[in-house]
Amino acid sequence: MSTKVTINRLATGVPGLDEVLGGGLPEFSFNLIAGPPGCGKTTLAHQMMFALATPERPALFFTVLGEPPLKMLRYQQQFDFFDSDAINQSIRYINLADDTLAGDLDEVLRRIVSEVEAHAPSLVFVDSFRSVVLASQTQHYPNNNLPQFVQQLGMLMTTWQATTFLIGEYFTETDTNPIFTVADGLIWLRQSVERNSMVRKMEIMKMRGQPTLPGLHTFRIASSGIRVFAPAPLNPDETPRSLPMQRLKMGVPRLDEMLGGGLPRGYSLLVAGPSGSGKSILAATFLAEGARNGEAGVIAVFEQRPNHSQNATLADLIRSGQVSLVDSRAPDLSIDEIVQLLLSEISRLNATRVVIDSLSGFELALAPTFRADFRESLSRMVTALTRAGVSVLMTSELEDRYTDLRFSPYGTAFLTDAIIVQRYIEVRSRLLRIMAVVKVRASAHCDELRQYHINDDGLQIGEMLADQEGLLGGRPTTQRTGDHND
Amino acid sequence: MSTLSEESRQIVASLAHRVGPSVDIAGIAEAITSILQDMDAALTPIIGQQGCVALLRRSLHLSASAHARLAGMHDRVQATPDRSGLKAVLLEQTEADALFFGEVLLTTFYTLLTTLIGPSLTARLLRDVWEPSLSDTPSQENSP
Repeated sequence: MSTKVTINRLATGVPGLDEVLGGGLPEFSFNLIAGPPGCGKTTLAHQMMFALATPERPALFFTVLGEPPLKMLRYQQQFDFFDSDAINQSIRYINLADDTLAGDLDEVLRRIVSEVEAHAPSLVFVDSFRSVVLASQTQHYPNNNLPQFVQQLGMLMTTWQATTFLIGEYFTETDTNPIFTVADGLIWLRQSVERNSMVRKMEIMKMRGQPTLPGLHTFRIASSGIRVFAPAPLNPDETPRSLPMQRLKMGVPRLDEMLGGGLPRGYSLLVAGPSGSGKSILAATFLAEGARNGEAGVIAVFEQRPNHSQNATLADLIRSGQVSLVDSRAPDLSIDEIVQLLLSEISRLNATRVVIDSLSGFELALAPTFRADFRESLSRMVTALTRAGVSVLMTSELEDRYTDLRFSPYGTAFLTDAIIVQRYIEVRSRLLRIMAVVKVRASAHCDELRQYHINDDGLQIGEMLADQEGLLGGRPTTQRTGDHND
Repeated sequence: MSTLSEESRQIVASLAHRVGPSVDIAGIAEAITSILQDMDAALTPIIGQQGCVALLRRSLHLSASAHARLAGMHDRVQATPDRSGLKAVLLEQTEADALFFGEVLLTTFYTLLTTLIGPSLTARLLRDVWEPSLSDTPSQENSP
């Protein structure tokens, strides 16, 4: 039997935060929520408080100087989590403005102690702690000792078995502040501004005793409150690809045969081609074929004018609920947000086929601050999706360059398991389309450049243009009969 | 705003209840200030002493601008805009005027708070003022 203490972890009620914290909030911990004005500190505190407080586990919310309590109540009740019935029952607000204004830290501490003793809260919030600090810097109380105050407060709250949050405006995390040392947890909120875009980010700089997820995690504040986009968990027991390979039908006649029998299940496929080459049609057919076999699908559309409205098949699938449309027009997306959206739709529908149309639009939808890391982002998305067990088809706009053979403008072709390339060629004053399967990992596939055309039924793949050569240069020439030894 | 007029009726009824059968000016002034004191007691822990004083001053101002006959009273209360100052001014009025002033002031205070923090939270914070007899723990919260 273990004699080690068991630290209970509280579910914060903030979507994604428990994951980032490494399994929830340690009970009786002494935490600091810090960040510049407007970054969501008070909202985060309220959301956790309303989720955690119960009549048996009441909360005290001390308001100090700063935002007037009337304003705070006025604005916080706009959020869905705010429940008026909890006030004065499981949640009690206590104003310490007068005590703080006087500037005597001992008196502030005495007030906090007496209220804590009177109400025996399990949760204590002090908003804003920064003003306590500022008020302490007065000439009238030369004996004010902030480190001692913090130390005593921390000790008191822990012995009273209260999980505590100090909320404060701090602008630099490198300040040598006694609070940073005493606190068990440091939750730092930021607003990252680049060009005209703003992205909210959260960092758990410290959380004693548990494996937090390092790095900056994006979050949004909506009417439902804060939602943190934790990175998709890396599932260690990833199911090995079953042998023999199961293959998915693409829904385009002859394409399965070109792929060596269909797209292996769980593969990622890049369809690269110039504008108008039929990438989106191929993607819609892929989903429709899945739906025909009872497989649900998810499509993420990042175009300014999503062409799902122009594709009747896809529109029908979306209407019937067999395909879920992720059409996030939210500005300044982060990769984790998109992955969360996709994964939640995948698990909702138990979907097996996913389409990203297109990577170019996806790049534009990302906040500028993430664009520099686009390859890493893409890699994480592909990994997260294929680990979820789905097969992914991504389209990529490819400017036709006849001088080189490229599959994506991002140098990301290596990320995908399979690649189909589409091109235009000029033959006898006509613009013809050809496509080829460039790669199918661990599988034999066709190496032919096949001509295809698009009609009302989708892509129709024809034969090789055997009498032409130099197709990839865009201007093929007819092979001279003399070249054939027939 | 049917809910608010419902609250107004409640406030007026509560005031009448506190005044009781004796309609002397001292009783009326005492009832009005005791209700204000209870409101203060309910709100001060949450919004602070200064927040309560500011709300009372604004309520006095709004009451006087809405009812010309209260303007004179308002001017005199302005000198010491707290409960004792208010009580002193009330004692100088006729019973009917003082009662009217009390009703207007209390409903205005309530409405003002409603515009700031919404009807449900206002009702939540002040319900013990109107229903002192019901302030005991409701039965559903006795369950363990």
